[in-house]
Amino acid sequence: MRTPFLAITCWLTACFAAETTGPSAAERSYAKGDYAAAVEQWQQEIHSQGVTAGLLGAVGNAEWKLGRKGRAMICWERALLLDPRDTVALAGIRHAQNAGGTERPAMTWAETFSTAVGADTWLIVAAASFWVALLTVIIPKMRRKPANDWTQRARLSAVTLLALCIPGLWGARSYASRAVVRKTEVSLRLTPTLLGEPLHGVAEGDVVRTGRPFNGHIRITTADGKTGWVRAGEIESVWGGGLPADLDQKAAP
Amino acid sequence: MCRLLSLLTVGLFVCVARAEDRVSWEITPRVTAPGQPFRLQIQVESDVVLGGAQNVGKEIKPPRGMALRLSGQIIRPDSTEATLNFSGVAPDQEGEYIIPSFNLRFARKIIVAPEVKLIVSKTVNFRRSEQARAELEIPRRTFFVGELIHGAINMYGGESEGVVASFGLESVAEGFTFQISADRQPLPVDKGQGLQTTFDLTPIREGENEIAINGIMLIQAGEVNAFSTAGRDRPFAFRRRISVEHVPEKGRPADWSGAIGKFTVETVQVSNEKPEVGEPIRLRAVLTGAGNLDRIVPPELASSEIWDVLPAVERRRHAEEQRFFVYTLVPRLPGKHATPAIHFSVFNPETRTYSRLDFPAQEVTVTGNAPAKVDLVNADPAAPVGGPGKISGLATPQPRQGATFLRTQGPVAPLAASRGFWSGNLLALLATTLTVAILLYAGYLAAHPEILIRRRARAIVKTAQTATSEAQRRGDAHAAAIAAVGGLQAGCAALLGAEPEAMTQSDVQRVFPGANREDLDILFAHAHAGRFGAQSGNESATAREVALSLLRQLHKML
Repeated sequence: MRTPFLAITCWLTACFAAETTGPSAAERSYAKGDYAAAVEQWQQEIHSQGVTAGLLGAVGNAEWKLGRKGRAMICWERALLLDPRDTVALAGIRHAQNAGGTERPAMTWAETFSTAVGADTWLIVAAASFWVALLTVIIPKMRRKPANDWTQRARLSAVTLLALCIPGLWGARSYASRAVVRKTEVSLRLTPTLLGEPLHGVAEGDVVRTGRPFNGHIRITTADGKTGWVRAGEIESVWGGGLPADLDQKAAP
Repeated sequence: MCRLLSLLTVGLFVCVARAEDRVSWEITPRVTAPGQPFRLQIQVESDVVLGGAQNVGKEIKPPRGMALRLSGQIIRPDSTEATLNFSGVAPDQEGEYIIPSFNLRFARKIIVAPEVKLIVSKTVNFRRSEQARAELEIPRRTFFVGELIHGAINMYGGESEGVVASFGLESVAEGFTFQISADRQPLPVDKGQGLQTTFDLTPIREGENEIAINGIMLIQAGEVNAFSTAGRDRPFAFRRRISVEHVPEKGRPADWSGAIGKFTVETVQVSNEKPEVGEPIRLRAVLTGAGNLDRIVPPELASSEIWDVLPAVERRRHAEEQRFFVYTLVPRLPGKHATPAIHFSVFNPETRTYSRLDFPAQEVTVTGNAPAKVDLVNADPAAPVGGPGKISGLATPQPRQGATFLRTQGPVAPLAASRGFWSGNLLALLATTLTVAILLYAGYLAAHPEILIRRRARAIVKTAQTATSEAQRRGDAHAAAIAAVGGLQAGCAALLGAEPEAMTQSDVQRVFPGANREDLDILFAHAHAGRFGAQSGNESATAREVALSLLRQLHKML
């Protein structure tokens, strides 16, 4: 028993010891105002070591400083998917809305509820409570014995958790089914066709709710409730890869 | 000969004798009351022609507190006499005042005028309000470098004199800038009749500085007759020592830009409340009040990520004591924004304190799309020295937030997007369901064993039918009978809940009450006779047919 405990302690110590070292090269670049270098260095760190909400928030800040609103919003939104309470991402999105003119759909009550924990946590808790509830029902039946007190308590707790998870899952789903406008000037079209009539305009960095895809287009709803079709390449889903897609990179022939 | 010598002596004496100049002066009245006007006349008699001259008595220097100006001179170019008239006003303090000796510079000769004495006494009966007078109006307090001091020379009319004009204003104000703001204006109603000349003074260095202002007012006597002049001049002269300090350093805000006075924020306006991105709008802030409006350095507005700020345009309305700060703002981003706040620090010279004026920000709705790149930055002009210099709503990045072991390799895909998660759960659910179903089915079968018994019997009956038919086709009557009897025993045992070997013709008849007992006996005897002795020879085809029919019925019943 003592050996595993010591091993876990050493591992955690090593993990946190790495975080108490001085500022990284990316942080120094950011502090000096060299935001392009900071973005590049943080991206390398993400590629080599993986993604955290903190890293995504930092990349978002640097992207915003470079004036790339769409990329910054993608980073912040994805950071919130990992950690709904990430202060850097929350501050960035608030700043983008207040100072940057970026529009973001108002959160529904289910989405607000879902931000209590991460989407993955909702799913894990829901799955676990489902299985616990199921097994606490099945096992006594199979054993042809009435459920004892502990079984009933476990069943009630699991069912309650599952009921609580349902709006959380729904909110997390609708929260994640959004996208960020990546192009500078995007027209909201009446029909999902190349020559569709432009109805309204959305700006880079605006967050929209996505609907069904069709003919290379996606139906979206803007923050002020306007709906229309945009080309799939003009927006980037929040639910996706860690770093924003490089739209400037031309496809290979 | 003696006569000749006498004439030569007289002629020589006349030639070498020095010419004498006679200068006399007269003050009217000889003794004056404080502040009483007087006239000084100087008469010059010379033995040579004096010649014409301009402002002969300009070197006269009256003592402190006395106003004295040359009001006229009578000089003929071919005359040896001259008359100079001076107008003066006695000082306000009693005493004997000596006007020092001075030179009278004529065209052909310089003549020294003797010193002149004036006696000022309060014993002289003089009503000051009867005659026109001038007063200097400057606040009596300590001033500050850069402050705008409004002063005035009030020329009051008297009971018997009126002020009709003024001229010749001169000032000596070292350490000050002096500027007349309004000349010869009527006095305000509450001050009576007369004229007023206002001026602005601005101290430019600290210390005790003196300001001297001289001038002449033209007065008109109340009664005009054939023997009086239409008007005459009367000088005035003021000297005032003024204490000047620098504004205190204690409590001086970092953004104080030299504003001294009492100011108020009048208004802030924008030229367009709904501009597009990149469309310049004009922000106009109006400052009013009394003070050095001209010397104020406009508050600096730095460009931000929302606004590009172009240099301010200066404007001033003197009449309304207003100062406009006009900025050109170019919005960079769409949305609802507030114009940059204008902060302004002011020093109040009366209370000797600094205060801060804030022009309220105006809300502007910017339409259009944001440009691809937004340059950020900048320092808050109103921020205290040494404070945080950047305006940004972004939080400080914390890339190491969260433990390292929580890092996610690869793309950030929620668990709900994981195919493995859903397929694993689905498989587990299927397995659970299957297990439960199997267990339930097994339990059901365990609770109802007749199901399996009948199923087994049905199979045996079916097999017996086939075997019986096969045996008949081969012509093996004994095998057909054994197969038929075996099938009947198994089927009837399942229906009766007994063992198959124990079934007899009677048990078959219990299942099939209408069956022919004779046929059953023949069938059973033919099938089992071999166990106990020789084979029975009375086997009939009818019995086998009956057996096949019963087997078919039995299969249906099972």
